[in-house]
Amino acid sequence: MVIKYLDKFPKGRNARTLWVLKPMWVTLKKMFKTTFHRPVTIMYPYEKEWLPDNYRGRPGLIYERCVGCGVCMRMCPTKCIEIVDSDDNGKKVQRPQVNLGRCMMCGYCAEYCPVNAMIVTPDYELAAFTREELIYGPRKLAWPNPTPGMEVHLEEHLLSDPERGPVAYHITDRPELNAGKCIGCTKCVKVCPTDAVEMQTVGENDKGKPIKVPKFDVSRCICCENCVIECPKGAITIKEVL
Amino acid sequence: MPYDSILNWIKFTDPMANPFYPYIKGGSAVYNLPYDIGHKLWELIGGAIAWLVNLLFPGNGVSTFLVGNDMFVNLISIVLMVVVIFAVGFIVNITMIWEERKILGRMMDRRATRIGPLGYLQNIADGLKTFLKEHITPAKADKKGYMWAVTILIGTSVLIACMIPLSDRWFIVDYGTGLLIIFGLFAIAPLMILVAGWSQNNKYSLIGGMRAAAQMVAYEVPILLVFASVSLLAGSFNINDIVHAQANSTWYIVPLFLGFIVFIVSAIAEAERIPFDLPEAEAELVEGWQTEYSGMKWGLIMLGDYFRGYIACALIVIMFLGGWYVPFISVEQQASWLPEIVFLLKVFLVFFVFAWVRAAHCRVRTDQILNIGWKVLMPLAVINLGITVAILLAGGILW
Repeated sequence: MVIKYLDKFPKGRNARTLWVLKPMWVTLKKMFKTTFHRPVTIMYPYEKEWLPDNYRGRPGLIYERCVGCGVCMRMCPTKCIEIVDSDDNGKKVQRPQVNLGRCMMCGYCAEYCPVNAMIVTPDYELAAFTREELIYGPRKLAWPNPTPGMEVHLEEHLLSDPERGPVAYHITDRPELNAGKCIGCTKCVKVCPTDAVEMQTVGENDKGKPIKVPKFDVSRCICCENCVIECPKGAITIKEVL
Repeated sequence: MPYDSILNWIKFTDPMANPFYPYIKGGSAVYNLPYDIGHKLWELIGGAIAWLVNLLFPGNGVSTFLVGNDMFVNLISIVLMVVVIFAVGFIVNITMIWEERKILGRMMDRRATRIGPLGYLQNIADGLKTFLKEHITPAKADKKGYMWAVTILIGTSVLIACMIPLSDRWFIVDYGTGLLIIFGLFAIAPLMILVAGWSQNNKYSLIGGMRAAAQMVAYEVPILLVFASVSLLAGSFNINDIVHAQANSTWYIVPLFLGFIVFIVSAIAEAERIPFDLPEAEAELVEGWQTEYSGMKWGLIMLGDYFRGYIACALIVIMFLGGWYVPFISVEQQASWLPEIVFLLKVFLVFFVFAWVRAAHCRVRTDQILNIGWKVLMPLAVINLGITVAILLAGGILW
């Protein structure tokens, strides 16, 4: 009767459901494997998974390396980063502050940071009792012992220069001045985080006063675009410099 | 008055010397281990009480009645014996649940129970949790059916679990028709499931109850045929006789292998375990026929389920795997070996197969279980009966 049943449905669903030994073999193998080795389950509060350096947990900050340029603040998709005043050994500096209640751990801030001061950290246990506790100031955001693996580099191959290899945008791009629009207000000098802008006298006007235009120190510029944003006349643009 | 030592009241008399000793077979007393344990427990407890009472009121009649009245001591011993047997069954049941959860966990590549040593106390914790839950009776339920069905279900499950003898000295009653009584009570469960499903006034419960009834049609007949072949081969329905017949010849799994396969499949269906848990199909019907049961009622239903699983495993061990005897060693040599432990180890081994099947297979459909029952198991059971008859015609000697 059984043979007839199998003959009637040689490859059909019924014969396969009747053939019960294969799943039993699979489960027995799995049982021996997980008995002699350990199951994949991790007893979470007592033991934690090994995390790589570039695990994308909460954003972290290398306090000394940061220049306070604000690229992270502008790139943040959830607008959770704010540049606040901070105190670096008595010196007043600008540093980012992250509202982790809004942060979605995308890692853009670490990716776009021109000085690699923003990093991703393997810290994912962020629960707090109040929403204020979730706003991480610059000192709380700083990660105690960062490794190079925590930095995220945004690099791309330029189609125009394939032999150069991968480069970051803040190496290839530089601000350029449209001298005709410049009114010499020196705002770009004030906002530059790396002091790469300097006013230079290029001549005299009709009244005999000096005409000053900004001069960009290409080696120090990190392409943060602060001068572009702050320029009241739109005289500065970012151009690719090859 | 001189100080009366407690040892004067705890004497540890021979229970078989009691004129009311219940286990008499052919004129001579048969040793019964749980009765002995119950008797010794009462000697301890009752002796201590009698000693205290005698200290307070010297020379009273109560103390001598507590430990000296044969009928009273016998009665209390029987009560304590039943408590001991139930406690052992309960602990075995808890151990089986633990075993199943551990095996399922390992087969699913995860850790299983966690509370207590090796996770053994997880079931106690779950039991306490269900104990604290609220009891809810649906407003439109048939109250009598709702309560009685589940009461009878749990009651019969526990009753048969206590009726299973663990050895020839661990039993409640040595039934001449043990197998038939056990199976008769075992088959009450599907009917009670139908009643419970109907009385809850819930569509899921009703579908679950109907499925239990439909499923029962598929596996009861093959099970009875296997029972018939085993008892024909052993020449008796008595569990003791079946086990001793196997100890004298060979385990019945060898000549009746087909019957073993049929019985293990049918027993899984009878105990309503995956892959035949149609009445309680928690993926399709909410909780099947148990949907409206809450709190400790539900917890006891689950416990009763595992009691029935234990009964199924124990029946397999008794009928096919030689009961409480180890093969290739003479029965006389094994007398001092704790046969109860051997029996329970075999039960746990069979239950491992049950849990293994549960981990490996998916639930069958109602029409599939009817197909399997009538088109596969039924012919196999008839062939098995034919093999039995052939062996008996050849002289009934296995080897």
